[in-house]
Amino acid sequence: MKIYKFLSSLLPVLFIAGALCTFNACKIDDQVDPNGPSLEGVEGNATVGDLNNVVTGIESGMRNRLGTYFDGVGVIGREWYRFSGSDPRFTSDLLGKASATLDNNTFYTTTPFAERYRVVRNCNILLNAVNNTNADLTDEQKNGYRGYAKTIMAYQLLMALNQLHHCGIRIDVDDPDNLGTFVTYDEGLSTIATMLNEGAQLLQSAGDEFAFGLSSGFAGFNTPASFRQFNRALAARVSIYQLNGTAALQNLTESFFELTSDSTTLYKGVYHLFSNAGGDQINEMYYPLNSAAGGNLRAAQPSYITDAEPGDHRLWKVGMRADTAFQDGLQSAYDFYRYRSLSDPIPIVRNEELVLIYAEAQNLNGNSTEALFAINLIRSAAGLPNYSGGNSQNELRDEILKQRRYSLYGEGHRWIDMRRYDKLNELPIDRPDDDVWMNFPRPATENDDCPAESAG
Amino acid sequence: MQKLFTYTTTLVFTLLLASTAAMAQFTVTGTVTDEKGEPMVGVTVVVKNTTVGTVSDLDGNYSLKVPGSSATLTFSSVGYEISEQSVSSSTGRLDVALEPSVTRLEEVVISGLATSVARRNLANAVSTVSSKELTGVTAPQTVDAALYGKFTGVVINANSGAPGGGIGVRLRGLTSINGNAQPLYIIDGVFMDNSSTPAGLNAISQAAAGGSASNQDNPSNRLADLNPDDIESIEILKGASAAALYGSRAATGVIIITTKRGKPGENMVNFSQTLGVATQLKKLGVRNFDAEKVEASFGASQVPVFEAAQAAGKIFNYEDELYGNKGLLSTTNLSLSGGNQTTQYYFGTTYKNEEGIVKNTGYEKLSLRLNLDHKLSERINLGFSNMYTLSSADRGFFNNDNTNTTMGVAYAATPAWADLFPDENGNYPNNPYTASNFLQTRDLITNNEKVNRYIGGANLTLKIYQTETATLQFIGRAGIDRYTLNTKALFPRTLQFQKDGNGTNGASIQGSATNNNANFNGFFVHSFFLPSGVSFRTQFGGTREEFRFNNILVTATELIGSQENVDQSGAVSVEQTRRNQTDMGFFVQEEVNWDDKVIATLGLRGDKSSNNGDPNQLYYYPKASLALNLHEFGFLPDKLSQLKLRAAFGQAGNFARFGSTFTSLGNTIIDGNAGSLINTLRGNNEVGPERQTEIETGFDLGFNRGRYALDFTYYVKSVADLLINVNVPTTSGFTTRVTNAADLRNNGIEVGLTLQPISNRNFNWYSRTAFWLNRSEITRLDVPAFNLGAFGATLGTFRIEEGKSATQIVGISPNGVVAFGDAEPDFQMSFQNTLNYKDLELSFLIHWKQGGDNINLSTLLTDIYGTSPDFDDTDLDPNGELTNGNYRLNSLGTTAQAWIEDASYVRLREIGLFYNFRNLFDGKVKNLRLGVSGNNLLNFFQYNSYDPEVSNFGSDGFSSNVEVLPFPSAKRFFGHLSVSF
Repeated sequence: MKIYKFLSSLLPVLFIAGALCTFNACKIDDQVDPNGPSLEGVEGNATVGDLNNVVTGIESGMRNRLGTYFDGVGVIGREWYRFSGSDPRFTSDLLGKASATLDNNTFYTTTPFAERYRVVRNCNILLNAVNNTNADLTDEQKNGYRGYAKTIMAYQLLMALNQLHHCGIRIDVDDPDNLGTFVTYDEGLSTIATMLNEGAQLLQSAGDEFAFGLSSGFAGFNTPASFRQFNRALAARVSIYQLNGTAALQNLTESFFELTSDSTTLYKGVYHLFSNAGGDQINEMYYPLNSAAGGNLRAAQPSYITDAEPGDHRLWKVGMRADTAFQDGLQSAYDFYRYRSLSDPIPIVRNEELVLIYAEAQNLNGNSTEALFAINLIRSAAGLPNYSGGNSQNELRDEILKQRRYSLYGEGHRWIDMRRYDKLNELPIDRPDDDVWMNFPRPATENDDCPAESAG
Repeated sequence: MQKLFTYTTTLVFTLLLASTAAMAQFTVTGTVTDEKGEPMVGVTVVVKNTTVGTVSDLDGNYSLKVPGSSATLTFSSVGYEISEQSVSSSTGRLDVALEPSVTRLEEVVISGLATSVARRNLANAVSTVSSKELTGVTAPQTVDAALYGKFTGVVINANSGAPGGGIGVRLRGLTSINGNAQPLYIIDGVFMDNSSTPAGLNAISQAAAGGSASNQDNPSNRLADLNPDDIESIEILKGASAAALYGSRAATGVIIITTKRGKPGENMVNFSQTLGVATQLKKLGVRNFDAEKVEASFGASQVPVFEAAQAAGKIFNYEDELYGNKGLLSTTNLSLSGGNQTTQYYFGTTYKNEEGIVKNTGYEKLSLRLNLDHKLSERINLGFSNMYTLSSADRGFFNNDNTNTTMGVAYAATPAWADLFPDENGNYPNNPYTASNFLQTRDLITNNEKVNRYIGGANLTLKIYQTETATLQFIGRAGIDRYTLNTKALFPRTLQFQKDGNGTNGASIQGSATNNNANFNGFFVHSFFLPSGVSFRTQFGGTREEFRFNNILVTATELIGSQENVDQSGAVSVEQTRRNQTDMGFFVQEEVNWDDKVIATLGLRGDKSSNNGDPNQLYYYPKASLALNLHEFGFLPDKLSQLKLRAAFGQAGNFARFGSTFTSLGNTIIDGNAGSLINTLRGNNEVGPERQTEIETGFDLGFNRGRYALDFTYYVKSVADLLINVNVPTTSGFTTRVTNAADLRNNGIEVGLTLQPISNRNFNWYSRTAFWLNRSEITRLDVPAFNLGAFGATLGTFRIEEGKSATQIVGISPNGVVAFGDAEPDFQMSFQNTLNYKDLELSFLIHWKQGGDNINLSTLLTDIYGTSPDFDDTDLDPNGELTNGNYRLNSLGTTAQAWIEDASYVRLREIGLFYNFRNLFDGKVKNLRLGVSGNNLLNFFQYNSYDPEVSNFGSDGFSSNVEVLPFPSAKRFFGHLSVSF
């Protein structure tokens, strides 16, 4: 009896609870992210506004960790020292001090690489979104988006390849659950060239106007036709990386290349923009002159000054310090001063490089006269007399590398240039046991190790 | 529906009527007194094995109608031994004197969501900290800071010495790697938010370069809003076996806080004032330079500068300058409580004002509490709890940075001959040695957190029916926790690192975070007694919790003049972060008690949450426990007053962090155009909660009525489906994805020895010694071993690796990456002692943490800057050739060993000496208490920095045990005055 009473007393309790649940929606609604647009939404059925936001995201994202990328290639390429009060690895790991080596899981390796592929992902999102959208867009307009995506994707992959060199890159990364294998350096270059060609083709059938806008860093290059010139300029760069003079010259003719010594025209090109404006990014490559050595600063590698010919105007890119910067056994009396403010733009590609590509391509093809002509235009723009050295292919190549060193200082080329011609062992060594690295290691997250190698 | 409702009501009333049938009964009356003969109010008098009972009134009198012709009455009151008395119809009057309890066996411990059980019948080693232990010895900075060494199985770690707190609590080992690792706090039934909201300092420090989210801002955790003086007791459920009924939030343990409530009787008024001073816990000293050392570390060009400064007598001790502030500490508390048999109140207010050891830092808090209880009728009791807090913390600017702007890093980079002092017009010179002049930074910046918080709870107890052998109660509870946290970080444009092209010409970073939590619970509790001495208690209930967090962080730069408003600027950026979560659950629990001899409990909780991949999937968490009170069987010798064997099993969960299921695009701006860029976190729709299974066994042994007692507990706590922010190949465009990808196991032991060697009229000595340790192991890992936390293997990092300790610290070495240490302490011990001689009282608490390593990057930075105090010593190099500074620097890039240090310590955590003057001025003053006390007054450690207790990355899981030039810790010394009327 008592047991019965005990049990029966529980019935109403269970019943009331059950009734509350059926009425009062025990169901929890599916969540959507309150903090940003969802990938499914954008890839599924994007509006023109969504697509254009992704376009802008791509352009903006190209700047992410660009400072770290430049510090990586610039310090290893012995263009400058990066002194950091709070991070010793800029002067140990990057310069291969004693037994220090480039780590495959440290920011200088992982973050710029990851950011380049993040932009690649955004390009793939744009391609998928354009294919799936029901927005009112013409095929030409869609090709405009596609040509843009292919071009930027190729450029970002080229930067990743510059970092990893013979460790290669993954090209096929559209499906995050099924990533393609790493391809070799040469295969990487040819795939990038193909991707640029596809982009150029799409841009050719993209009408007169893009359906999207770009920042003023693309001023003069924001229509399908002019953007294609930018695409071809990048293709010319890839061609000389492939030591293919003929292809380089062909690509140059379709680019915005102008053979000139006019300094304004030499600076014509496409730029990453920076600003202090809210939410925008600043140019991380700028530090004021005479920053204290215990803090953050970039000091020019002294040989950049000592190796310069007298009267080279391009030394404006360094600034003499009031005191000598000194850290970790390294010292320099000059600051790196290529970028002069937090909003100074950084070139993606500009005409001065194209003139030097022209010289290199002609020299690769054995046309020393044309090569020399271009070299002297650059020298004259720098306030230097005509070249007076030997005219052999190797001598001219060395002269071109030297002009590239001074003309493109602080734009991410020196290390790659010396590596292309197997000359990394000619870079200056500051401390007896320092190393010049061939490549950054493959990032640890790829689960497929390929370490950094010393150029020996 | 209507029909069913009628059925239900009918059933309830039938039962009610059945219960009122008349039976034979007699009345017992009497008075209950304490050991001094004073009447005791509120003593529970119950006829054993029935629901029949009463409580004693203001004069200690009780009167009880006892059914039948004879029975056993139990008299119980917290802090006193239970007294059992046989009565029969001829008894008539029965006066009882209760003896104070040496043990805490009679205190009740919350065992279900709505019910409690006496500790002697508990099957878990639940620790309780009383208000006397919490605040009776010295004045704690925050509630969590008051818990050190007071219970077993815990690692408590202060992140820094900044005013306003910032503490991580880890119960029985690390239970989550990337999920929440902090316990759930419940105050008077209300889920209390204990998050830490960064103030956006990363915009200046660039500590996490390239991203704005940073956990290196050293924010305080919101438990700081709670006033320790208002707390009656704290219960700590350390793992799933005790906390299973809290379901999917309980895997990290649950800390249940009960605040003070009024008792029927005289009005009590208490006023107390504490005054103290804080000084740097350990001074490291500064490096003594000579010309040779200056040349080696700073270059030849600095030698004449140094010599000129030396000749002018301008060599400064900046450690004293920066950390030498004598921080004044003051706490004023007023409390009133009392009431009658139907209504009781407690009102408490506290004003606390504490300065830090760095000038212009401090903490100010005003808190108000009003707790009300009212008996609406014989059947209905209502309870209300209200807390309001207003606080303001100025926390300085410390920890890791990449811009040399934090005071700690700038201090480390500045040699003693630099002159940083302002001129007579208040103009600060630029620091030629680094990017900032830390004296200028200290004097001009603001880094303030202001909190405005209300926590309120309401509690309804409804007796649906009651018979002599059964009761059914409904308990309803609702609670809200609502706060606004305003962070304000001001960096005026006159700062060295903000002017002349350095920085952004000033920055005003203002955040406004609002948090709204609400929880609703309803329970039915049914108790049922059989004449055989077996009793059953059944409970069933549902819960719903809502969490809404919204943070708007505005960063304004290019400031106009000395303006602070964010609109007085040339550039503004805004970030908004919202987190919404809804959880629902139900639970059932059945407790069976056979005459206090055998106590068994079974329970089940089911939970679902919007944070799971499938928000409507129910996850079930069972529990079971058994306690055997062998001493109740009567076959043990009398000297052995307690022998309890206990075992408990339970499961609990831990949610994925909000957002784990989303793949979204973030916003980015270029040249005034807004763009969408894919976030680096890839969402996972399959993500579910972590599931912890804990098995705990142990025994309690008491001799001589508990004057000598030993308790022992062994636990195994396994966590399955650990949430891991798995690093995905970054070629996918993503960097992490939250995945249930690992298992880990913690096991450990907890031993407590309680002694009362002397106890007589004048002299009393109580002592408790505790010992505990924990070991962990990653037992499954579906992804390759990976590093996390800290700053990479070159400098030492944590590594998750199958078969290894979850908290191992690894680093590079000539033999590749090897383990150099482990953050887990080898063991911890505490010695808690209270000595009373008449009205004089001495208490102290010694806390010993043995082992456990830290990654100490303060040393690395001071070595690089050439300012380490021990730079020129030669006790590290085995060959005795290199100085310590050079030895450590030479190993950079070769091995990380130099920065992984043993963080053992022995501390005098608390000491207090008090004298009580009783019944002054004809009893108008009941008690006047005067005393002195101290916090961390003595510290012994080899660790080469300010304090081995430190965390650069805040309170979460893996982040503790890494040091980068923090706000140094303080020791605190107090004088106390307290008057009760």
